[in-house]
Amino acid sequence: MTRLLEKKLSRRRFIGVSSCALAGVAVGSQVKVLRALAQEGKVGAVTTLPTKDVFTSCGMCVNKCGVIARVRDGVIHKLDPNPNFAVKSRAMLCARGNAGTKVVYDPDRLKYPLIRVGERGEGKWRRASWDEALDLVGKNLNQIAEKYTRAGVVFASTEGTFQDHFFNQMAECYGSPNTLRHATLCLSSNIQGFSATFGTNPTPDVLNADYIIMSGANRSEAFITPDTIDLLKGDGGMRKLIYLDPRFTKTAAKADEWYPIKPGTDMAFILAMINVIVTEKRYNKDFVEKMTVGFDKLVPHIATYTPEWAAKECEIPAADIRRIARDFADAAPHAVYYQGRRSSFFANDTQMRRAMAILNAIIGNWDVEGGMIPNRSIAMTKHDYLAPYYDDIPGRLDADSVAYLSESDGSWSIFRDRVLEGKPYPVKGMMIYKQNCVASVPNRAKTLKMMAQMDFICTIDVTMSDTAWYSDVVLPEATYLERLDPPEVLGGIVPVVAWRQPAVEALFESKPCLWIMQQLAKRLGPDIADTFNFTMEEAIEHQCSNNPKILADLKSKGVYYEADKPVYGSSYGKPLKTKSGKIEIYSERYAEKGLDPLPVYSSPNVVPTGKYRLLVGRHAYFTHGTTTNNPYLHDIMPENTLWLHPQEAARLGLDDGRLVRVKSAVGEETLKLEVTEKIRPDSVYMAHGFGVLSKGQSNVYGVGGCDAALIEEKTCMISGNVAMHETLVEIFPA
Amino acid sequence: MKNKRYAIVLDTKRCIDCKACTVACKAENDVPVGRDNYRNWVDEEKLRGTYPNLGQSFTPSQCQHCANPPCAHVCPTKATVVSPDGIVHVIADKCIGCKYCQTACPYNARYYNEVIAAVDKCTFCSHRVYAGGMPACVETCPTKVRVFGDINDPNSEVSRLLAKNPSRVLKVAQGTKPHLFYLT
Repeated sequence: MTRLLEKKLSRRRFIGVSSCALAGVAVGSQVKVLRALAQEGKVGAVTTLPTKDVFTSCGMCVNKCGVIARVRDGVIHKLDPNPNFAVKSRAMLCARGNAGTKVVYDPDRLKYPLIRVGERGEGKWRRASWDEALDLVGKNLNQIAEKYTRAGVVFASTEGTFQDHFFNQMAECYGSPNTLRHATLCLSSNIQGFSATFGTNPTPDVLNADYIIMSGANRSEAFITPDTIDLLKGDGGMRKLIYLDPRFTKTAAKADEWYPIKPGTDMAFILAMINVIVTEKRYNKDFVEKMTVGFDKLVPHIATYTPEWAAKECEIPAADIRRIARDFADAAPHAVYYQGRRSSFFANDTQMRRAMAILNAIIGNWDVEGGMIPNRSIAMTKHDYLAPYYDDIPGRLDADSVAYLSESDGSWSIFRDRVLEGKPYPVKGMMIYKQNCVASVPNRAKTLKMMAQMDFICTIDVTMSDTAWYSDVVLPEATYLERLDPPEVLGGIVPVVAWRQPAVEALFESKPCLWIMQQLAKRLGPDIADTFNFTMEEAIEHQCSNNPKILADLKSKGVYYEADKPVYGSSYGKPLKTKSGKIEIYSERYAEKGLDPLPVYSSPNVVPTGKYRLLVGRHAYFTHGTTTNNPYLHDIMPENTLWLHPQEAARLGLDDGRLVRVKSAVGEETLKLEVTEKIRPDSVYMAHGFGVLSKGQSNVYGVGGCDAALIEEKTCMISGNVAMHETLVEIFPA
Repeated sequence: MKNKRYAIVLDTKRCIDCKACTVACKAENDVPVGRDNYRNWVDEEKLRGTYPNLGQSFTPSQCQHCANPPCAHVCPTKATVVSPDGIVHVIADKCIGCKYCQTACPYNARYYNEVIAAVDKCTFCSHRVYAGGMPACVETCPTKVRVFGDINDPNSEVSRLLAKNPSRVLKVAQGTKPHLFYLT
């Protein structure tokens, strides 16, 4: 737990000389108020408020695209893409990025610290001063530490706000091992499956690949930069996109071939491709010999996984599987089986990702142009601190629950179960930073039950999420356009450093995360407070101290990078971070842990007549549940619907547009039916982010249905990732 | 902007219907929030084929900046004018809100803006263009569907795209001479 403070933070003044001025922001912010006062003659005309362009980073999703905030008279008028950011974002800004102004000027945003006065979830609050609210949070954290242990408080955090590090620092310095992050609702099985094979989770070189197979990734709607843009380069040209998805998405509309694969059978498709490539000796023999271990064990393992066998599982014709496998091998090494990002589909997801990794490995696309490239980073000085030492703290609550548990991420569903059991020890406090666990963790009723047994819950957010709604204290954070944030390396094929500087002063009484942590730390004792004894400017300067060009470029261009093109082959000649130092087709480590060392297929649960598999997925307008209430984005899609194939709608006698009740083993939701051929007859789909419980989200409160209320929380026992596609539902007229 | 004729060329095969153009336009041009208020939009075309053989196209559009604009012809107060560079404008102060132009426009490209109490529509972001920039929809588009430029300049990208590729305009039979060119 203890870290050494390598170097005391410099106390030198942070000098801000930049074409994107920081000066002058103190004047501007509540401009509408000022204007109103001016009209009433109470203050002079508002002519001194700044008009300027500010380089910053988008905060609407994971991609953190470069933005130029156009500020007019102290108000952010427009967010434009930063052309200097083209190496990562291709100099674009999507609908969400453009809607960022409405995050700042949102009537629904949190304005002041709030303390609950009614029952939890009743929505009765009173405005409090920061001092009073923080005193209450501090008192409760100290009480829980006293009464139970410091592990009795769980710290649940979002990632990628660039200030989440300070929240996690608070968790460590307070002394709780229990942090929960989003990974087990998202990509932990992906990371596990690819890392077990390559020692890392590489990035597909979409820009230079000639042949891309995409399954479980909807890149034209679930944006990842630059892949979403690069994917289209070959539209009508060289590049071929084979797309497997039970839904006809926007990506399907752009693909050369779309196959509505039976959900949960992707591994059968992949194993059959491996079968064809191996038995027809189309793999890269030289590469396999030099760079991999366990190929000899793979050959007999895949013998029965023929295309004819797979066709029965995945409902893609054997002839197509065989042709795709041959074309894929022919295009090698400029060919990738694109693994996507979110991998919380089925409980066997880690092994499915292993199969994907092995398929990529045998065609020899590792770390070459158009193949799978290990991510690169940019060196920056680490923010460090000396965390206090406590000698009476147990390990993580969810320790030893799955084969590979991330110490910093935990496993959300398993953690929740153990809180409810009270074993091995009680967890009675929640500190939440912009995570919306009520809306995002499957089985909402169980999450609410877990929260109901907490002594204290504090949520920090910019908006009244469902999770904030069920909290005792809600603290308003400044939005991403109002903050100075530490620079952050966005790793990838071409890594960049991004950062944020405030376009306008924080509105109302909102404060950045660091300030909130510093004020809270003072209430938790001098040892903790000492670790936060620095300013943001000092932290930034320290971080950039190894390379002054980073800060100079961030100020003058809004981005820093060292190469604008991919660098290939840097991993060759060095051992990979696997046990053997090579690509592990056969995993010794898995064998030692009693896991299948080669991916073994198992069929998904059967969908009986009258039931449907519930699918989740993305739209380009929404980032999980965080943007459905944004006025601009709400205009695009004001509610969600349940997609159902016409054949099944006719069978059930249900018309398009009517209200239906959707019932699973854990919940029931009501929403409108959308009869569409864009989905398999055995599946239904609904968008995430609706069916909101919080009246603080005025556009989407009570509108549509909440998927998390329906999904059961089956969990991958290798990675701890939840499996969101294992839930079956029934549909009734409402 | 003498001797210029502005136009947009669209490669709809690149459109993924992400609505970035729509939100960018609303923010840039202070288009009031509301589903009926828009200067540009993306149409989801009818699904082609039957499951599992499906196809779909997405068509972004906006004011066509017609050379023969019916909206201008019907306006009783001459609030709609065409600048020498081809951009069709509404002079808000002259607009009496009779909405004849909305009815006359074959592209449904106009809406009534309650805040400014006038009919409003795409201006090719002329305020940005005259300052050396690009229309907001063009600049922000993730997949670069739209290209904006001067078709009177034979070396402009729009001219080169129109020379190299066949294109079409919408509702050609109406004789409006639109200046949004869709590559085919």
